[in-house]
Order: sequence, then C-alpha cells, then structure tokens
Amino acid sequence: MDASELQPVRDFISSLPPFDRLSEQSLRQCCISLSVVYYSRNEQFVDVDTNERQLYIVRSGAFEVITEQGELIDRISDGQYFGFSGMLSGEKVVNKVRILEDALVYLLPVKIFDQLRAASSQFDRFFNQAFAQRLRHQGAINNKNINTSRISSLISADLISIDSFSTIRQAAELMSEKRVSSLLIIDSNKLSGIITDRDLRSRVLAKGLDSQTLIKQVMTADPVTSHKNALIFEAMLQMSEHSIHHLPIIEDGRPTGMLTSTDIMRSQSSQPLLLIGQIGRQNSQEELIAVSKQIPQLLQNLISSDAQAQEIGRILTSVTDALTRRLIIIIQNEIGEAPMQFCWLAFGSQARQDQAGGSDQDNALLLEYDPDSEALLYFQKLSQAVCTGLDACGYSSCPGDIMATNKKWQLTLKQWENEFSKWINTPQPTALVNVAIFFDMRCIFGCSSLFESLHNKVVNKTKNNDIFLAAMTGNALQQPPPLGFFKDFVLERDGSEVKGIDLKHKGTALINDITRIYALAAGIKEVNTHKRLLLLKESKFINQQDALNLIDAYEFIAHKRLSNQGYQYSRSQPLSNYLLPENLSALARHQLKDAFKAVHEAQAGIKLKFLRQF
Amino acid sequence: MFKSWLIKSSLNRQFKRSKNAGLKAYFQAQIQLIDLPIKQAPLLALDLEMTGLNPKLDQIISIGLIPVIEGKILLAQAQYKLIKINGSVGQSAAVHGVLDQHLLQAVSIKKALQWLIQQATGKVLAAHHASLDLSFLQQAISQHLNEKCRLSALDSLDIERRRLLRCQSFIKEGELRLGKCRERYNLPLYAAHNALTDALACAELLLAQLAADSGIHKVKVSQLLR
Repeated sequence: MDASELQPVRDFISSLPPFDRLSEQSLRQCCISLSVVYYSRNEQFVDVDTNERQLYIVRSGAFEVITEQGELIDRISDGQYFGFSGMLSGEKVVNKVRILEDALVYLLPVKIFDQLRAASSQFDRFFNQAFAQRLRHQGAINNKNINTSRISSLISADLISIDSFSTIRQAAELMSEKRVSSLLIIDSNKLSGIITDRDLRSRVLAKGLDSQTLIKQVMTADPVTSHKNALIFEAMLQMSEHSIHHLPIIEDGRPTGMLTSTDIMRSQSSQPLLLIGQIGRQNSQEELIAVSKQIPQLLQNLISSDAQAQEIGRILTSVTDALTRRLIIIIQNEIGEAPMQFCWLAFGSQARQDQAGGSDQDNALLLEYDPDSEALLYFQKLSQAVCTGLDACGYSSCPGDIMATNKKWQLTLKQWENEFSKWINTPQPTALVNVAIFFDMRCIFGCSSLFESLHNKVVNKTKNNDIFLAAMTGNALQQPPPLGFFKDFVLERDGSEVKGIDLKHKGTALINDITRIYALAAGIKEVNTHKRLLLLKESKFINQQDALNLIDAYEFIAHKRLSNQGYQYSRSQPLSNYLLPENLSALARHQLKDAFKAVHEAQAGIKLKFLRQF
Repeated sequence: MFKSWLIKSSLNRQFKRSKNAGLKAYFQAQIQLIDLPIKQAPLLALDLEMTGLNPKLDQIISIGLIPVIEGKILLAQAQYKLIKINGSVGQSAAVHGVLDQHLLQAVSIKKALQWLIQQATGKVLAAHHASLDLSFLQQAISQHLNEKCRLSALDSLDIERRRLLRCQSFIKEGELRLGKCRERYNLPLYAAHNALTDALACAELLLAQLAADSGIHKVKVSQLLR
C-alpha cells in the first residue's frame, strides 16, 4: 500500500505528541498497524479487551475514565489517549471508560506500542508514568544565559592564597608572580580574610607601613563570601551592595576560590545586573520610578531566555529587594537615620523569592523597642514614603493591608512574638488563612540580628506543634488542584468544567502551602519553596520521591505561569495568573495534568501526616 | 426470511452459472454470509474512482478496499490499485488527483477485477451509493471476464436514507452525501476523493450507522443487502 493513501490518518497521528517525534519509518509502521472502531453513546461503556491490550487514540468524540467506585479520573476528547496505563504496568484494568459522545477511535496494538517505545525515548517518556522523570526532561532549560549562570562557571581551578602570618611583601610578590589583584588569606584550611592590591595601596603604602608588616594587620578580616552554586547575578548584587570587587567562594566551610568583578564583567554584561546597578545609583524616588519601568521588560527577557522559573523568581525578587532598599536609603537621606534599630520585613512572594509579574506588596516593620510619639512619626513617614514609592514602581498595595504603613504591623520584637504565639497556640482555622503568609518572612533592610531572633522563636514554636500544623493543614486542603483538561475547558475534580485556571491559587500557592507546613514542622528557617523542598528532601522529613515530584511540579506550574504572562505581555494584555487551555499545546496539557496530580498526591500526604486522615 | 431465501437462490444460480473460477468461489462463499448477524459478518468497504458516471462509456481508474472484521477497520489490510485505461484521464483528473503519469504503475482492468473478486470472497461488500460502483463492476466483469453477474453490497447511503425517512418526511438535496452523513455521526472531515480514503470514510460511516441502531444485533446481512 502506498503510505500517502491514508493521508487523513497519517495527518492526524503525526500531529499528536508524542507521535510527532517519531521517525518517518516508525510513523508509517504505526499508521498501518492501526485499526479503527466506532463507539456510540448508546453503548454507554467501552468494552475494554483485557487480553488484547491497545492504546486508544481518540480521533473524535469524548470519554470519561472512572474508578470502580465511580470517582472521576479523567475526561478525554479528540487527540487524547487512554488504555496506556494498563499496557505499561501490565496490571489488570479496573477503571471503566464511559462514552460521553459518539466517538471514532484508532487502536494501536500493544506490540507496536512497545516497539515505538523502544525506538523512541521521547515516545516512551511521554507515556511512562514515572512522571517526575518526564517533567524533569521537558523544556530545554537554557542555563547559558547570564541571568541564571552560576559562579562556578567563572572561577578558575587554582586557588591562590597565603597565610595571615606572611608579610605584605610576600603577598605582593605572590600577586605579581601570579598576576592577580587579590589573595585569599587562609589559616589551617579556614578563610581568615582577603587582601587586594587596593589594600596594599591604601592601607600599606599610603600609611607608610613597613614591607615586613604581617598580612594579618592589614587584611580585610571576615569578608563577605559566596558559594559556587550562587547565581552570578546574586554575586554581582552582593558586590554592588557592599561596594566590593572580590568575593571569596566558600564550600563546606573551606575557601575554594575568588570571584572578582572583572571576572563577571569579562564574562558578559546583562540587563538585570545593569538594572540593579542603576537602582543603586538613583538619588530620588522619581528617578527610581523611572528605572522601575524596565522591570516588565526584564521579566519578558528572562521568560524568553527560558530560564528556570525558580531562578526568574529569585532574580525578579532581587530587583524588588534592591528597589526597596534604595527607597529606604533615599528617604532616610531626607528624614534622617531611624531613632532605633529596625527591620523592613517582607512576607509572601517577596519573602519566598518567587515574584512574577503583577506581584503586590506584603511588608511590615519590626522595631527594636516601643516607639515614642516622635519615633512613631518617623516610622510612619518612612513606611508611607517607601510603600507609596513601591506602588509607583508597580507593586500595588496589599489588599489585606499587610503593609508597613499599617500601625497594626509596626511592632516590636515582643509584640511580633505575641502575634505569632496567638496564631500558633490557639489556631483559628479561618484566621489562619490570612496569616499563613506571615510564616514566609525575610528581612529586606535593617538589623538582621533582630530579625533572626524573631524568626528563631517562631520556628521553635511551630516545630512538631501538632495542633498548629493540623490547623494549617486543614487550610491548605481547602483548594484542590484541577484534574486536567477537557476540550478547551479545565476539568475540576468534582467533574465541573471551567473556562480557565488560576495557576497561582490553584497551582503554585498550593505547593507553597504544603511545603510551608512541612518546613514549619521540621523547624526549617528557609522560606524559598524550592530551597525548602531541597532541605526537606535531605532531612528525610518527606519522602524523597514526593519531594522531587513537588519540586518538578512547582517548577513546571511556575514556568507555565510565567510563559503565560509572557504571552499576555506580547498581546498587551494585563498580566495575570489566569491561563486559558486553548493557549496550551497538547503536550503541555499532559504535563500540567501530571503536575496537578503530584499536588493532589502531596495534599493527600499532608492530610495523612498532619490530620491523620485518609 | 423470504428475502434471505431469494438472495441465496440467486447466489446459488450465479454460482452454478459462472465459468470463471474466481467468481464461482465468490458466489459460493457469499451464500454462507447471508444469514449471519450483520455484526459478525466480515465486510469489505469498497470505493471506485471513474472517468465519469456512465458505466457503458466511462472507465474505472482506481479501486480502494478496506476490510472491517468484528467491528474493527483494519488499516493494515487496506489496499489500493490503479488501473490502466484507454486514452487519457482527462477532466476527472482534477477530481481524483490521479494523473496520467501515476497510471504507469497501473494494472490491467482484467487483473484488477480478478484481484477484487479474490479479496471479496468470504466478505460482504459495502460502499456509499453502492449501486453506481456495482454497475461499473458488473459492466467491467461482463466486458473483460465475459460473465454476466449481479453483485450486491451494503449501501451506507441507502441505510442513511431509510434512517432519515423514519424521522423526517423528505430528504433535501445533498443530505446523503458521504461528508454530510459523516457529520451526523460526529465523524471527522476528510479531504475526499481518493478511492482508499473514501473506502475508509465509508467503512467508518457504516460502523457508526450500525452502532447507532440499538436493534442491530438482531439484524442479518440479508436484511441490509442491496
């Protein structure tokens, strides 16, 4: 038979993922192996032949897969499949397939299905239920982009160091011999400090010190450091914030190298770095607002570079952090230094470092002690100006008024502790919904030790606190993720069909909630969801596979949320978290469905662990 | 019952009268199929492309065949033959997409007929607007195999006409076209006019028609044959 003759079948099959990835030869073999059947709604159920397993490829029509107990598992229409789980597992099929609409179905025999899986790893992966593996392989994540490159790519292998009891003359000789501008000062495998040629100039020559002076006396002790897996971008940020040009790299407490600003400049220059740099140079609110107009474009560049969603979140949040800090400094230049130590706190997405387009403000103040009326006025002025400034920069005010301007959230350490105690010790389920985001907090500006003492106290109180964790879990289970997609609708777990999906509230937020509960239970202080999951995975507090599944699901949903915002931006629509299925490829639908499934399973997991319910 | 007897005696007559071994075997096997429930009968969906619509003047250009066994259309056994014709394809080339140069791989009409009869042996033929295809085949068999015969087949157009007339008093023009009929059963739109694609389209329509009829398991082949 001439292959071109059954063109309609071939055209259809070759348009479907993963068949679109098959070689010409495999595709041909597949098409001629098909048989075609028709199901009328009158028949009610598909009579699945368990002896002769087949992949059911829906050409037109609609089906519903339900369990023996009648629970809806999936709804399937044109271009989708059923029957493969039994073929992969070899287990007896117990689910029933109900015919919703008259349907034409192509059947692919198991023998050919297995041959195609053997011939194409992409084909196999698509149908393989090891969903984590599938998600992990999807989406070419392009790490070459500067925004998401890591320090490790820039550090040279040889470590140039000297001990602190050598003389500055020896240091200078080593530097000129190795042609470097700085040295790591290492004593018994520990970093003691660094010395740069600028130090030799300003601290030695200018002061007329003897060349036999010990390095110990002129080095910069306890320098700011970084680690090799930090993003280049983050290192750049550290340098610009501390006005330094050298960053020792530490691994497991041991120095492994030095990163200089020249290393970065040489490697490349890029927009987020420029933007951060620009932010740091502005001296008025108006100028800052003007600079912030570039943020939407930055987000688009990051999205189109196909960086990982969690890295985009970190970068975008770093910009917000820098903007917040700069605003505070500019305002303090006008109204003077604060009358006491304080922290500018961020909650929610800024704290978790997972901001996307259209994030709003969640911030507050932590004060050293009870403010008198004058101090109160000062903080009122400061918070008012910063929040208004942030609003003008595109971060709209928090609808729940979790804002530093709100007197309710200008509290001393003791008062904050009391608030948290109230929430933790007598958890009111409805009240907890509104305060959950307080448990994701980070100090953006100010006295970090003040913040640390608050954070430590909170985590100590939540750790293994069964009643509190059960209440949090109850809240986290309020919202189930969708089941999947049906035609151009989102299919909810109760069988209803809705037009679109909120990828934040029905997706990433659910994972944030689940992860927060585990982290608080384990006493983990980290608040970034990705990092929390990595720590939880190590802590064995959560099953390794479940943690990996959640990490993948989180990355996938967050990535979809961002690319959807990229799509909205390209069409000059306002950025939102709302996704319409018609904008999704068939492959993305399958993957999102798997991600939802992982969220659903994780919800069942916390229900069992913290509520003791099945 | 009476109809079944009529058909069987006609087949029996043709079996005895045929001198061509292939045709003889075909008619003999047909007799066994007549009383089978339609759902169990092996079917062979057929479509011909012709140079025109007059069996006496026009010629068959191509034949597409697809078997339907136990309710499954078997694409693996789909077959297609181009046929050598006298003169040029002419006007109808635009309709069928068959160009003269394709006809170089073609077989003679005589060979094609023998092949078709062999393929159809033990199966019930089915086509959309079967009478046209059958009259072309009968004419060709008479001309090239020198046998007068009367073929019968399931006709998806006829099934559809009767179904429609059960719930409406008349049928508007065009309502019985293959594409229109398929739409009613939620079947996809195919770019038509290739003998094999049309045979597939007809086979799918037939399956849909049989599935839609709730009393189908009682229906025998004889009741639907035309």
